[in-house]
Amino acid sequence: MRRIFILTPLLVLLIICIFSLVYLLSGKDPNKPPSALLNKDVPIFESTSLYNSKEIIKTIDIKNKKTLINFFASWCSPCKIEHPLFFEIRKKHPELYLLGFNHKDPTTDAKKYLEDDGNPYDFVGVDADGLIALEFGVFGLPETYLINEDGKIIFKFMGPITKDVLKNEIEPLL
Amino acid sequence: MSSLVGFLSLVFAIGINFYLFFSRYIFKFQKQKFNLFIRFSSLLTLLSFFSLMYAYVVSDFSNYNVFQNSHSNKPLIYKISGTWGNHEGSMLLWLSILSVFSFFFSFTKNIDESFKRLTLIIQSLLHILFGLFIVFTSNPFLVNSILVNEGLGLNPILQDPGLAVHPPILYGGYVGYSIVFSIAIAGLFQNSDDEWLYVAKKWSLISWTLLTGGIALGSYWAYYELGWGGWWFWDPVENISLMPWIAGLALVHSLMMVRGEQAIKKWIVFLSILCFSLSVFGTFLVRSGILTSVHSFAADASRGIFILLIFFIVTGFGFLVFLIKEPKKSNALNLLFINKVSALVINNILMIIATLTILLGTIYPIIIEVLYNKRISVGGPYFNATVIPIMIPGFLLMSIAPILSWQTNKMQNSKKYVLGFIILSILVLIQSYFLDFNTWGLVGLLLGFWIILASIIAIFSSYKVKFNIKFFQIINPHIAHIGVGIAIVGITCSSVFQNELDFNLNEGDKFDVNGKTVLFQEIETTNQINYQALRGKFLFDIEKNQSKKIEAGKNYYPVSKIITSEAGILHQWNKDIYFILGDQKNNEWFVKVLINPFVSFIWLGVIIMMYSGIIAVTRR
Repeated sequence: MRRIFILTPLLVLLIICIFSLVYLLSGKDPNKPPSALLNKDVPIFESTSLYNSKEIIKTIDIKNKKTLINFFASWCSPCKIEHPLFFEIRKKHPELYLLGFNHKDPTTDAKKYLEDDGNPYDFVGVDADGLIALEFGVFGLPETYLINEDGKIIFKFMGPITKDVLKNEIEPLL
Repeated sequence: MSSLVGFLSLVFAIGINFYLFFSRYIFKFQKQKFNLFIRFSSLLTLLSFFSLMYAYVVSDFSNYNVFQNSHSNKPLIYKISGTWGNHEGSMLLWLSILSVFSFFFSFTKNIDESFKRLTLIIQSLLHILFGLFIVFTSNPFLVNSILVNEGLGLNPILQDPGLAVHPPILYGGYVGYSIVFSIAIAGLFQNSDDEWLYVAKKWSLISWTLLTGGIALGSYWAYYELGWGGWWFWDPVENISLMPWIAGLALVHSLMMVRGEQAIKKWIVFLSILCFSLSVFGTFLVRSGILTSVHSFAADASRGIFILLIFFIVTGFGFLVFLIKEPKKSNALNLLFINKVSALVINNILMIIATLTILLGTIYPIIIEVLYNKRISVGGPYFNATVIPIMIPGFLLMSIAPILSWQTNKMQNSKKYVLGFIILSILVLIQSYFLDFNTWGLVGLLLGFWIILASIIAIFSSYKVKFNIKFFQIINPHIAHIGVGIAIVGITCSSVFQNELDFNLNEGDKFDVNGKTVLFQEIETTNQINYQALRGKFLFDIEKNQSKKIEAGKNYYPVSKIITSEAGILHQWNKDIYFILGDQKNNEWFVKVLINPFVSFIWLGVIIMMYSGIIAVTRR
């Protein structure tokens, strides 16, 4: 009995070390929290177009096509950094449906932003109150999701995507 | 050039420690020589550290570390503090402090020479482990491969006088436990007499006092720099520093109480190993970047694995020795219903439970993420709901513990205490009835004031009041507890009775804070040497002649493109009025005003605790 008592610290040490080691070796990055939604169905959403409030996009509209969803805002400077990459994606993968969600932004600012930097999206949905982002579990802008033909989220990225991310993580999935 | 000197002296210092480590088996030393070698290696490590500091001071951007973390426009003090404001430099600081402790320990006189040597050999082992870690994964002396004449700057949030001194002092506490660890292990190996307990007491008090100061500085910095109006956030990194602090508190108390009891001696060895293990574990969690917080630097898996290995070796070695070599038999424990020994045992158990609770909350997210691939965060609600209730009985016991007897259940002057407690309870009840009632507020205030009152009663009824050093040494435990009581009052008031006011204001507006009129004078932007400052200027209490100026705003650091918030705080003895300037919207500025009652009591309490720590070091 006493032995067990004295052995406890060593056991606790072992457990802590094993978990920490697995964590480190699995290449997890604290800046990239895992998404609870990965490999799950895309959440149900409904949004109006930034340019025409009568035009509506729903979850069902992106069925049967590969879709890249990007949450952006005019006030988000990292979004500006990744913005040009979407034109590149657009050019290289014309079959991919690009859906942008404008997050908590005044419409005038959003329009001006897309006027100045260009609009790479097939559809720009308005997410003025951030409810759609909430459904997707968005941590911070920008965030990008790749949805496959079955409507499952197969990739998620937090922060601005880069050329490396595009080449090594997104394109293999296309 | 200085980088080369730094690197070579570091490598040389590690080499000497290798030599010393194996000296026990291969080379035979005279005792004088051994100490000289230890001191020489310590000085070399310090030389290495100061070479890096020199590179920072002269902005030598041929050093990659300086290039990454410094800028020639930075004020001198931040160039100096930049030395440890990054991962590599801070690890070198860690090693340097280890060396400083070994250096001073090598001068200790009144212990057995072979015991001292064994302790220093264990220190050498630690030096080797962390030294190799620096050389192989975190070398601060790498040469910059490109020719540049400007650096990339230091994280602006760290450009603050409080934070410049926070890491060295905190590390002083963390690393100071290494000596206690080495002493305890050496004590196990040699199974000598109890002399080592007195030596360990002195060093653990020094470490604990430094750790207290380091935590308080960090917490004070968070209070005025992060701009959230609080001073403790249960951030993983804060928890990491709190764990060795609580364990160290248990250790210090056990060391002061021990009278040769076998069980307590064993417990002390356990705590000594635990304190240092928690320090190394903290270093691992912060340096591996496994936890995100304000303290995280660039994450690198190889570094994490290396420190994890060190943590495993050190802790595993410590507990293994503890398992194999138990301390020798001696007196049994004199446990009564309520005497000093039982109070000590109960408090120690509570402190360890609190430490383990914090440990669980801190590593729980890691375990969950490994098992379920989900990111969760454990924060204030968990810790407040678990740690605080665990501590409360301990605080109650602490108020009377110093006057309990060793041998009997009797308590001197118990009537005075009962009377004091009843009067105090009535007063606090009346106070909370007339002001806003809050259960936690009531409990906290009663507890805090009770500790203060009981300590004061104890001082005046148990000792003859004299004003000499000896008297202050005798009443020191009570003074320390008064410090804790004052801190509890401050913590309770500032967290439970905090008041928040929000305003949307134009320049020139007047508004009401706590019954005083405040004028929002103007917004001013100025260019400072390494940042642009935006300041909202407020005039507090304009009806009076001596109205107070408050400036709150933000700083923009163009080199690193970061904005920091700068809270404007009006300190009064009984409250802080805390101004935060928000964003501008529709030509109106958002201003948040927090009224934090009795925050100053927290810092006062901490200062008293540190004072007691210093006094206790001087007493044998």
